[in-house]
Amino acid sequence: MSADRPQRLQDLIAFLRTIQKPTKRIENVGVDDSLFASGLVDSLAIIQIVLYLETTYGIDFAASGMDPERLGTMTSILDLIEETRR
Amino acid sequence: MQFHEDPRVIVWWQTKMGGMLRWLTPFRRRAILAVGGLWVCIRESLESFGPADVPVPADRLGPLLVVVALLGMTWLFYRAATEFSRLPQFVRKHPQLSLHSVYWAFLVVLWTSTPDSGLWRQVLFGVAAMFPFLLWRFGYLLLSGQHGRMSGTRFSDHFLTIWPIYGGSNAPYGKGFGYLSRFEAKNEEELARSQLAGIKLFILSNLLLVAMKVLEGVFYGPGNALTKMIGGYTLGIPTVGYLISIEGKNTAIWISWISIYCELVYQVLRHAVRGHLVIAVLRIFGFNVFRNTYKPLLAESIVDFWNRYYYYFKEIMANFFFLPTFTQLGRTLRNWPTLRLFAAVFAAAFIGNSYYHLIKFSDVMVQGQVFEGLYALRSRIFYCFLLALGIFVSMLREQRRGGCPPPQGQANRLLRIAGVWTFFALIYIWNVGVGAPFTSRLSFFLSLFGIA
Repeated sequence: MSADRPQRLQDLIAFLRTIQKPTKRIENVGVDDSLFASGLVDSLAIIQIVLYLETTYGIDFAASGMDPERLGTMTSILDLIEETRR
Repeated sequence: MQFHEDPRVIVWWQTKMGGMLRWLTPFRRRAILAVGGLWVCIRESLESFGPADVPVPADRLGPLLVVVALLGMTWLFYRAATEFSRLPQFVRKHPQLSLHSVYWAFLVVLWTSTPDSGLWRQVLFGVAAMFPFLLWRFGYLLLSGQHGRMSGTRFSDHFLTIWPIYGGSNAPYGKGFGYLSRFEAKNEEELARSQLAGIKLFILSNLLLVAMKVLEGVFYGPGNALTKMIGGYTLGIPTVGYLISIEGKNTAIWISWISIYCELVYQVLRHAVRGHLVIAVLRIFGFNVFRNTYKPLLAESIVDFWNRYYYYFKEIMANFFFLPTFTQLGRTLRNWPTLRLFAAVFAAAFIGNSYYHLIKFSDVMVQGQVFEGLYALRSRIFYCFLLALGIFVSMLREQRRGGCPPPQGQANRLLRIAGVWTFFALIYIWNVGVGAPFTSRLSFFLSLFGIA
């Protein structure tokens, strides 16, 4: 696990707070909980996460392909960031 | 907490149904669904011989060959997904495009071959007529292969989603097995919870069916058995289909408005009744997946309504059109995020939606009448255009709000809900039936605003 991971998690939570649905709160979602099942985001709002990862970490989804499941939990998003930065 | 989530009810169900829950292991549940799938394959194949003007096999050998061909194709796509990394580079890079190319190749062969080509052509007719039902299911199968989620799964596991005994339309409710397995009950307690959720949905489906019948009788008339129980009273509101046919003439504007809202409620009920039944069966078999319809009439934005109205259809559009377009345009349109969003939304809600409905006309497609099909769908295509426009604006507004809640208060909330109802009620004018001329729909639309 990368030493930057806790900081990235905090950044991710701060970002997810900006796209959360009015009736849902990021504070009620665990790092391994599904962002979709929790109702925090849906498969259309997922593009916000894509944009965040592209601009913040330079991930090129056009080259790597997009698997929505990889963006399903905070843990899997952090794993994806680490994989692409190796 | 709802009754199916109450730990006491779950324990009670486990006690009462202990033997059944123990016997229904994941393997057995999947096996039952897979055996049922074989029956669905045979039944659906035989039903594909419906159109009288399509030269499909009339003897026993022909339908049997179609069933065998469809089973063989299912196996081949399963193998392709399992061996995804060994497929040709183009297919690995564009699996969905390759899949749809197979369908179109079948069509081209049919269109270019002569009617007296023999049995193989008749069998191909049967296969091509069934293909739109399989396309999105094979699509999810290939998606599982592409994302490396085929390991540890059997052919029968995927077979049960490709030929679903639990029902559905061309849109696979519960998506593919890769998705279903994430929601599968792993122990007796989870199975009990899933089954109770399924039973709740089954009851809800029947209650909504009663509501639908009451709406049919009370609003539209003539009365039915249910409305007779409440005195046989009917408001006699004309249906949107009828109002379009008379272009809204000789009808009070307020009645036309009530009619379009009634149509919206009716369509939501219709979708919910059917979808709840399918998801109820899936849940009873231990797949505790999302509902197909989840309170869309309470949605406060257009995009939220679309998400809640017909979830598994929207997932097709999102998975096969929206997300691929959005990510592929990442390089070229990185500095134009609004244009990128616009392209992705229109690829899904306009192009994908229209394409889905075009290929649903199986008998038209196999006979090479693509342009006739497009012409018949012209109103629906316009509906898709308006829908895409609405979703784009709605997504843009949500993005620009940046997580800030919309104006609070019941009045504001009601206003937003009313706006969503009005949008969908109005665009539905172009989605009712397929027979009405476009101009009649336009005239009716204008009549709602007093423009004759």
